[in-house]
Amino acid sequence: MSMLDLSAVPARVETYLRELFWQRVHPLLLTFDAGWHLRDIHGDAAHYGIDSADPAQGTQLLRDLFIGMPLDEPQDVPFVELDNGRSAHLHLIPDGDSFHVLLLDAETERERRRAQQQLGHEEALKSQAKTKAIGQLKQIRTELERQHARLEEAHALKNALIATMSHEFRTPLTSIFGYLQLIDRRAKEEPTIRDALHAVRRNATYLFTLAENLLEYGRSESSVALLNPTPIDLAALARDLEAMFRPLAEEKGLEFHVTLKLDDATEPVFDEVRLRQILLNLLSNAVRYTRRGEITADLVWRGQTFSADITDTGIGIAAAHRDSVFTPFNRGGHAGSKGAGLGLSIVKRLVEQMRGTLTFDSEIGRGSSFRVAVPLGRERANAHTEAAIAPRFWLQGRSVLVADDDPDIANLLQALLGDLGFRVRVVADAQSAVLEAMAGRPDVLLIDVELSGLSGNAAVYKLRSRGYKGRIVTLSATATSEAREAALRAGADHYLTKPLNVDQFVHVIQQAASADWDGRSDEPDDA
Amino acid sequence: MTATAHKVCMLGDFGVGKTSLVSRFVRSTFSEKYLTTVGVKVDTKEIALPNGAISKLVIWDIAGRSNLDALNMTYLRGASALLLVADGTRERSLHSALNLLMQSRGLLPDAAVVVAVNKLDLVEHWEVAPASLVELRRTLPVFETSARSGEGVEAAFAEVAARLAA
Repeated sequence: MSMLDLSAVPARVETYLRELFWQRVHPLLLTFDAGWHLRDIHGDAAHYGIDSADPAQGTQLLRDLFIGMPLDEPQDVPFVELDNGRSAHLHLIPDGDSFHVLLLDAETERERRRAQQQLGHEEALKSQAKTKAIGQLKQIRTELERQHARLEEAHALKNALIATMSHEFRTPLTSIFGYLQLIDRRAKEEPTIRDALHAVRRNATYLFTLAENLLEYGRSESSVALLNPTPIDLAALARDLEAMFRPLAEEKGLEFHVTLKLDDATEPVFDEVRLRQILLNLLSNAVRYTRRGEITADLVWRGQTFSADITDTGIGIAAAHRDSVFTPFNRGGHAGSKGAGLGLSIVKRLVEQMRGTLTFDSEIGRGSSFRVAVPLGRERANAHTEAAIAPRFWLQGRSVLVADDDPDIANLLQALLGDLGFRVRVVADAQSAVLEAMAGRPDVLLIDVELSGLSGNAAVYKLRSRGYKGRIVTLSATATSEAREAALRAGADHYLTKPLNVDQFVHVIQQAASADWDGRSDEPDDA
Repeated sequence: MTATAHKVCMLGDFGVGKTSLVSRFVRSTFSEKYLTTVGVKVDTKEIALPNGAISKLVIWDIAGRSNLDALNMTYLRGASALLLVADGTRERSLHSALNLLMQSRGLLPDAAVVVAVNKLDLVEHWEVAPASLVELRRTLPVFETSARSGEGVEAAFAEVAARLAA
């Protein structure tokens, strides 16, 4: 490309070019000595926000711009946004002992570039967010499909078992009921036989009730059955147990004893069907798994609590199976068991429905002892809460740092944790929580997510990103899986939601406090 | 007392919040609207050091990108410190920041370096895992920041000033 020879350009064109140059580029030339003292200024200073009468401020900006750059070499710094918001190309031109700084307007070009760049960046950010969302959705779908397949398999298995077992029970029972009716008609004049037949019918009825247990598992696990507490005759219950199980025990050469102590004048009120199902299942197991020795059922009504200790000298339960004996369809509990694996899971479920407790001791070859304690039906809720927050000796002296900016909640947490035996310290903001946790290393940090200022999640993240290994429980008013995931991703071990469920709270805090400082091997749990 | 001036360059991918961090630090303002930077915007702020000395930070807010080209190299000339900025919600932006650091090392072998992982107010959506920052802290000073709330911003720039004074 050949250069335009300006001497050959007609004067009119030259004037035109000059005007065009000034209009479009607005050149401003400043000349400085080596010490940045302004010697001369030519051009449209106001266009760049520089007061030509007092150019000190503009000069300072230029000095700052060329910090660290040699002044004896040409410099070209494009697209510099000046104090007045305009963009300029800056050129430094050395000239002997002095140098010039030339400013050329770049605003139009900057805006054009910005429009293009803005569009491109926004598209890129949207695309990244979209890719991320699609990835998350895919992950969720895969997980849902996996869970769905697992649930379908479990559901099909459960349905098959229920169908089979119900059928297995009902077929012989239908036969038994039919023959009972037939014999009953022919033996009306024989009182002894009639009584015996009634006993058989009663037992068959209970057997039928047990069969119905199976159907209960066909219902949703989460559905809460309504209790039907009514006044019951415990002496009659004891007699029935005696009448039902003594013949079975004696047939196997076992001793069988039922005792009843009535130490409370209050009328016992319980859901009788469920209470009977509990005792029937425990005694059925005791008889089934005991080959020699004895079986005892000690029933006590005291302090508005009904308790039953069912003890046998049977085959016992291996330590390895202690945790799984209450799992439905588990058959590994009693060595060599042939049951459906439903009895103890039904007992546990019924006891929980009645807000009671179920414990057991067992030793292989020496027998088992199951203890059921059920509070009076009418007052079950209070009894449960009091039991749940009873102090645990192993929490004594452990420390909790509570971070909550609501004084009422903080006081409640302090009181609850104090009852559990913790040393409690309270702070009201996330920043203090980070500092206190790093310095004091409490056994548990209990932090509210929705703290004003720095959020609880941000504080947890900051702690974890600094290598903090202590247990962290977050508390939030948001009960969504996304909020839970976010808290756990930030580094929390447990996620609790408000309003506080005291039982869950106690359970989670106990779980968190029982872990060692470096022992973060447990799976996160949202309780 | 005359403040010592230092050129500090903000480096990081686009949209990580470099302009917002400068705006928060220099003017205590924040805008929700994303406006891409073209070229460079230079701001200054004086900061008092623990020993009472004043340090003047001349902050170059350079248009964001994941790789340094010749133009960016022009902007980096004479810088004494780099404030690398990443967006906690985009893990890739942390890789970009570290990549920019490596690329700039040839031109600025002795520049002080501080890392700001921005958008702490969106910590619920962060992709950068806490463990990644535990690792990064072994070699570089790292600050979780939020230009929106101001969290960690002063601390990050104060660290830059402290390292320049050291």
